[in-house]
Amino acid sequence: MAGYDTSRAAQALRLVGVSKTYGSGENPVRALDGVSVSLAAGTFTAIMGPSGSGKSTLLQCAAGLDQPTEGRVFIDGSELTGGSETALTKFRRQRVGFIFQQFNLLPALTVMQNVALPLRLAGKKVDRKQCRSILEKVGLGDRTNHRPAELSGGQQQRVAIARALVTNPSVIFADEPTGALDTRSARSVLTLLAGAVREFGQTVVMVTHDPVAASYADSVVFLADGQMVGTLAHPTAEAVAERMTHLGDEVSLRRVVGA
Amino acid sequence: MIQLAVRSLRHRAGGFVASFLSMFLGATVVMAFAAMLDTAGGAGVDDLSEETLVTMATVVGGWGLVIVLFAVTSTMTLSVRQRAGELALLKSVGATPFQVGRMIVGETALVAVAAALLAVPLAAGGGWLLLEMLQETDQVASGLSYAFGPAALSIGIGVTLLASLGGAGVAARRATKLRAQEAMTAVTIEQTRMTRKRTIAAIVFLAAGVNCGIVTATVFDGKGIDAMQTAGQASIWFSIGLALFGPVLVRLVTAVLAGPLRMLGGASGYLAVENVRRRTQHVAGALMPIILFTGIATGTLYMQSIENSAPPAASSSIPAEDVAAIETLNLVVVGMLSVFAAIMVINTLVAATTYRRREFGQQRLVGSTPPQVMRMVGMEGVVLAAAGVLFGSIGSIVTVFPYSLARTGELLPDTTIGIYLAIVSVAATLTLASCLGAARKAIRMPAVQAVAV
Ligand SMILES: Nc1ncnc2c1ncn2[C@@H]1O[C@H](COP(=O)(O)OP(=O)(O)O)[C@@H](O)[C@H]1O
Ligand SMILES: [Mg+2]
Repeated sequence: MAGYDTSRAAQALRLVGVSKTYGSGENPVRALDGVSVSLAAGTFTAIMGPSGSGKSTLLQCAAGLDQPTEGRVFIDGSELTGGSETALTKFRRQRVGFIFQQFNLLPALTVMQNVALPLRLAGKKVDRKQCRSILEKVGLGDRTNHRPAELSGGQQQRVAIARALVTNPSVIFADEPTGALDTRSARSVLTLLAGAVREFGQTVVMVTHDPVAASYADSVVFLADGQMVGTLAHPTAEAVAERMTHLGDEVSLRRVVGA
Repeated sequence: MIQLAVRSLRHRAGGFVASFLSMFLGATVVMAFAAMLDTAGGAGVDDLSEETLVTMATVVGGWGLVIVLFAVTSTMTLSVRQRAGELALLKSVGATPFQVGRMIVGETALVAVAAALLAVPLAAGGGWLLLEMLQETDQVASGLSYAFGPAALSIGIGVTLLASLGGAGVAARRATKLRAQEAMTAVTIEQTRMTRKRTIAAIVFLAAGVNCGIVTATVFDGKGIDAMQTAGQASIWFSIGLALFGPVLVRLVTAVLAGPLRMLGGASGYLAVENVRRRTQHVAGALMPIILFTGIATGTLYMQSIENSAPPAASSSIPAEDVAAIETLNLVVVGMLSVFAAIMVINTLVAATTYRRREFGQQRLVGSTPPQVMRMVGMEGVVLAAAGVLFGSIGSIVTVFPYSLARTGELLPDTTIGIYLAIVSVAATLTLASCLGAARKAIRMPAVQAVAV
């Protein structure tokens, strides 16, 4: 695939002809339409596209939160096969970390407990030192005993990043991680994500609609109407914004012509 | 927008089902007993029968008022809390707290009228059955003819409306005080200490219960069934006192069970303990009906069971004919209390668990399997059931032991333990089934959708 360094041995994420259709009755919605993409380990990829273009669906199918209607998904070389939620959860635990727009921290637990939770649920021994050092890395070493409700949005999102990092997953998926944050908090979150990629070789896939956020990534994948319509390596905010405008034109043109 | 409306409607329907059921059952029982007043007013009713009939109607009517008031307050407060978002929206577009309150009271009034009217046919039949039973057991003369008229209708509908509007008024007052923001963050920064008012009320109720117990064992010693006058109330007051101390009791039981739950329950046990700790107020709200059910049902049924196997006392002031009527009343009041407590247990737990759908979704996204979520909820249910049964049993002691002492001279009653086991099983089953049933339904929705709510 153009724009990717295919010489890397490990493909952290590989999607082959992935399609997803919601509903089956009168008006089935084809949210994803034959998407194939390979992402090398240690890369930071942004997924962009207009609202409703299938970004979240792509992320969920790739992360094993949803089952594609067609196609195959490989995370770190292992194929995501259908199965019970329990089986999928166990598959995800070892390979996938999540960051959401709405943080999704458990309100009853402290910052430290939230970060340690993925380990606990997986039945692993909780290394408090390791958790603390990750929290220090995201700049929250002094907040370990606070509850999420006592933190700002930016701080909560940094806890969520720490929680995603703690299991050392093959891929971290982030859906609009800066969507609910002010500019400054957004910048610190993006810097942390980019840092995780550069310093620890994490693989990050981030859905965003913000060209500035996308510019933190190594490359951008553009989606429109459930299809991959292009990529951009070493993106700058201006270049991304430019492509997005054309994408808008392209999509409306397609709709008119294709109708 | 449509989704919002549907969701709100569903929550609302759920909230109203429990309120409606409380009103409907309350109206049915009160009306059926009030029909005894109509019957007593008929031609050719002897004095003794009239007195029995009037007592029955008055006692059950009074209890009905109190119970429905409690039930409606509890169910409406819950349904209003679930609509905090909708209510905040109303306020943000300019509705005054008064208007919001009026809307809540208005909705309740509609439900209450419907419940009371629908109860009429059932109550008419129930009253007839009641009279039949009273005649069969020779509590009233067999020649009486049944009447269902103005007294039944006015008292039945009146009591239901009065209790419902009272309950709605309290719920509305709470709702207008509660801001949407508070409602959303209530879980995490809930107030961890009991208010002074609540502590004082709890102590007063406990003292009243103990006092009734002492009077039963001393003043009414050897006075036969007269002792029921104070013994019956003892467990009611004491259980209410304990229920008010709910937050403290929850913490106590959690402290004891935390170790075993963590050890045996793994990550689920750990989460259950943390959740209960952080949500003492919520858990205490669910604990209240379980304590009341266990305490009052055990107290009253054992009192009756002791009475039935004790020899009649010579110095009793109550004529033998009334003994059967008292038993009937005991059973009716306990039956009523139990049914309402059961509705409240189910309603509170189902609503609280459904409300946590988002949290369950968040947990699943972090790596909880569905069985792990269910185990966590189950263990929280165990804490709740254990606390409810334990303190309910303690609540019943102030009735059972003094009454046994007064009637037989023995502290421990010489009757079957079967009743107690049955009550405990019902309480535990209701608690666990409500929690687990609601949780099962809550996690049927895909996790991603659940957190998007
Ligand atoms: N659970 C669902 N059921 C039905 N349709 C859905 C569902 N989720 C998404 N869609 C539809 O699929 C399309 C893509 O949605 P989504 O992936 O959320 O887009 P994006 O994240 O790019 O805004 C949209 O048309 C959306 O309405
Ligand atoms: Mg989206």
